[in-house]
Amino acid sequence: MNGANISWTRVGLPRRSFLRGASALGGLAAAGLLPARWAQAAGGTLRTRTYADIRSMDPAFSQGVVDEEIHAAIYNKLIQYKPGREWGWQLDAAAMIEQADDTHINFALRDDIGFTNGFGAMTAEDVKFSFERIIDDALESTNKPDWGPLSHVEVTGERTGTIVLKNAFQPLWSITLPYIAGNIVSKAAFDSVGGKIDTQPVATSGPYLHAGWEPKQKTTLRRNPDWKGEAAAFDEIQIYHIDDEKAAEIAFEAGEIDFTRVSLDSVERLKSNPIAGATLEEFPSLYYVWVGMNLDNPKLGNLKLRQAIQHAIDVPTIMAAAYFGAAEPSTGIIAPGLAGHRDAPLTGVAADLDKAQALMAESGEAGVSLAIDVLNKSANVTAAQIIQANLAAIGITLEIRLHEGATFWELGSNEDLELVLNRYSMTPDPYYATSWFITEQAGVWNWERFRSEEFDKLHLAAQSEGDPAARAAMYARAQDLMEESGAYKFLTHEATPVIYRNSVTPALRPDGLPLYRYFGTA
Amino acid sequence: MTDASLPKPRSELGEILYHLVRDPLGLAGLIIVLAILASAVLAPWIAPYDPVALNVPDRLQGPSAAHLMGTDQLGRDTFSRVIWGGRVALQVALPTIGGAIFFGLLLGMIAGYGPRWLDNLIVLLFDTIRSFPTVMFALAVVALVGPSLNTVILVIMVTSIPTYGRVVRTLTQSLREAEFITAERALGASTARIMGVHLLPNVLGPLAVLAAMDIPTVVGLEAGLSFLGMGVKPPTPSWGSLLNDGYNLIRNTPWLIIAGGIPLILTTVGFTFLGEALRDVVDPKLRGKGGK
Repeated sequence: MNGANISWTRVGLPRRSFLRGASALGGLAAAGLLPARWAQAAGGTLRTRTYADIRSMDPAFSQGVVDEEIHAAIYNKLIQYKPGREWGWQLDAAAMIEQADDTHINFALRDDIGFTNGFGAMTAEDVKFSFERIIDDALESTNKPDWGPLSHVEVTGERTGTIVLKNAFQPLWSITLPYIAGNIVSKAAFDSVGGKIDTQPVATSGPYLHAGWEPKQKTTLRRNPDWKGEAAAFDEIQIYHIDDEKAAEIAFEAGEIDFTRVSLDSVERLKSNPIAGATLEEFPSLYYVWVGMNLDNPKLGNLKLRQAIQHAIDVPTIMAAAYFGAAEPSTGIIAPGLAGHRDAPLTGVAADLDKAQALMAESGEAGVSLAIDVLNKSANVTAAQIIQANLAAIGITLEIRLHEGATFWELGSNEDLELVLNRYSMTPDPYYATSWFITEQAGVWNWERFRSEEFDKLHLAAQSEGDPAARAAMYARAQDLMEESGAYKFLTHEATPVIYRNSVTPALRPDGLPLYRYFGTA
Repeated sequence: MTDASLPKPRSELGEILYHLVRDPLGLAGLIIVLAILASAVLAPWIAPYDPVALNVPDRLQGPSAAHLMGTDQLGRDTFSRVIWGGRVALQVALPTIGGAIFFGLLLGMIAGYGPRWLDNLIVLLFDTIRSFPTVMFALAVVALVGPSLNTVILVIMVTSIPTYGRVVRTLTQSLREAEFITAERALGASTARIMGVHLLPNVLGPLAVLAAMDIPTVVGLEAGLSFLGMGVKPPTPSWGSLLNDGYNLIRNTPWLIIAGGIPLILTTVGFTFLGEALRDVVDPKLRGKGGK
């Protein structure tokens, strides 16, 4: 469960202890001795912002953080991410959960969680249904990989069961259970609508109810009056769809929203001219940004040429101009704090022009003309222009091709792809990062067509490796292999600056993403 | 009074210029347009810095003696990029309008002078092209084939042809039965001669007015596409990409968006004034009456 550099703490009490403590906590709250989050709900409305519209309220078809921000508030999981600066989890629907051995995880559900719309109490059958449907080929869930080697869930009692894996799977505790695939839905509710849903939940169980969705405008969550857990802090949460970060900042300054991520270029301004009654906080991000080179393209077939490109790119300049000094250079695809994070990349961070020129000379290439495909976002365009200037210094002409989202995300299957400036999202386990670069993913998400038997083996072995140090070493070696191929120049993990009104106590993951169910009032 | 004492008659161009400079709006428009043209043509000599040379340590500087309009996020001199951006704007506008006038003239005269079935066919073609919203059409084409200066020129040119073609067709239709054309026809003049020698000069004036009024639209369209990243490729300076950089940094460095906006405003004002004045000059009914 533990990575080399990450401590997965477990917060929460067994059910009996929880009940014993509840009355005491209530008394303290009444006496005003507890922070508001622990006291009775303060009421009011939390207005926040999401950068995209929802895609599905079915966890099997959740498209990532946008959907999950809502799912985490309206559904329950056995465990949830713990808000704070360090990755960890805490109990949610589980009163108890323990790893019996490498492939068996026993759990016991709380007895006070019920589904809305009369679908009854949450049982182990619901857990079995929720998890097994995701790995059912017939359902074609987009989130099947998150469940890794799940074999089945054994129901041992009304509220007890055992998750049975085919082999050990370390990401279970960091990705599967506390994230998208860990949401528990009502079997009876889903059966009543044919087994799957779209954008309208049929029954929920969390501290908030899904009260409405106005496409491209907002999602409204309302306090669940039947929720027996820690009281929800707000009567209502309104999540506005504001695509543009600048527009969100203006909305925040105008008092229209209470919490939003802000753009990196605004950090300096917001630090020097703070908004009254608001707090700016910076979080490291897990995203990874890199320059990829298509190994199947004959124009990039020369290893020395690729290495010359790796050494010519000046990452600190990109950090200064494209990320306004608010992000740090990365060393690979695994961010600091996660197992396998490397202290330094093999090809350095700053450009080494002498080495790049020497490698160009060794390559025997001259008059090289290449193209880099870039998603049309401000930071990307700026970074691409720096890379263009960097490569010009070693005699490579680089054309910048800008794309809108729809065309950019189709490029993976384009065999003529040359260079690409890419950015993938990430979950707090290195398994998630390496999964996109295995041979099987070549031409799908592995746009560089990087193929390495050793890498594939490391990816498979590391997901089961129980020794944190050994696991970390495996992921570090996997990133070495990526870099040694000459197909990658790692740039940054970016950063997540957020701003919130002081009347709100945000509950954020260590990467700055919100956990609305735990938001409180200050 | 001898012949020598009579004022020398002005050429047609001289006549137009004479009336233009006497109209305050026309004069202002002419000066602005000439200034824009001059700065675009002389960009390599008057721009103080290389518009694409990066100087990251000097990024986001405010206006100063060294950098009149400050610097952008890559430390490039904004003033130099504005001047070079004018060159891109005109590189798009002139061939676009020129091409649209050429094909509009050709198709419009054929439609106006040719047989009825050909007229119907060409009008159908014009209507088909015009049925596409220009910006959406441009975005769709650029998304398919990728952004480039040539793509932008081609897209805007194609969508502008019907505007000119319809005007030419209407003028041709009104002239084809005129007495001097009937006389030419009776004298055995060929269709090509009638169209080239007699019709063409009569439709050029209104087209010139239309072209002057259209240039700001084309410049604005190019800027719009570049603002969206669908126009010229980076690092080529364009007023639209300047606006985009400025928009992204509007709260930190407002001078960037101002620098990108000023030339667009001046271009619109200049060409509109010039077009209005030209319209008054080429239309004898309006000449000397201050327009409407």
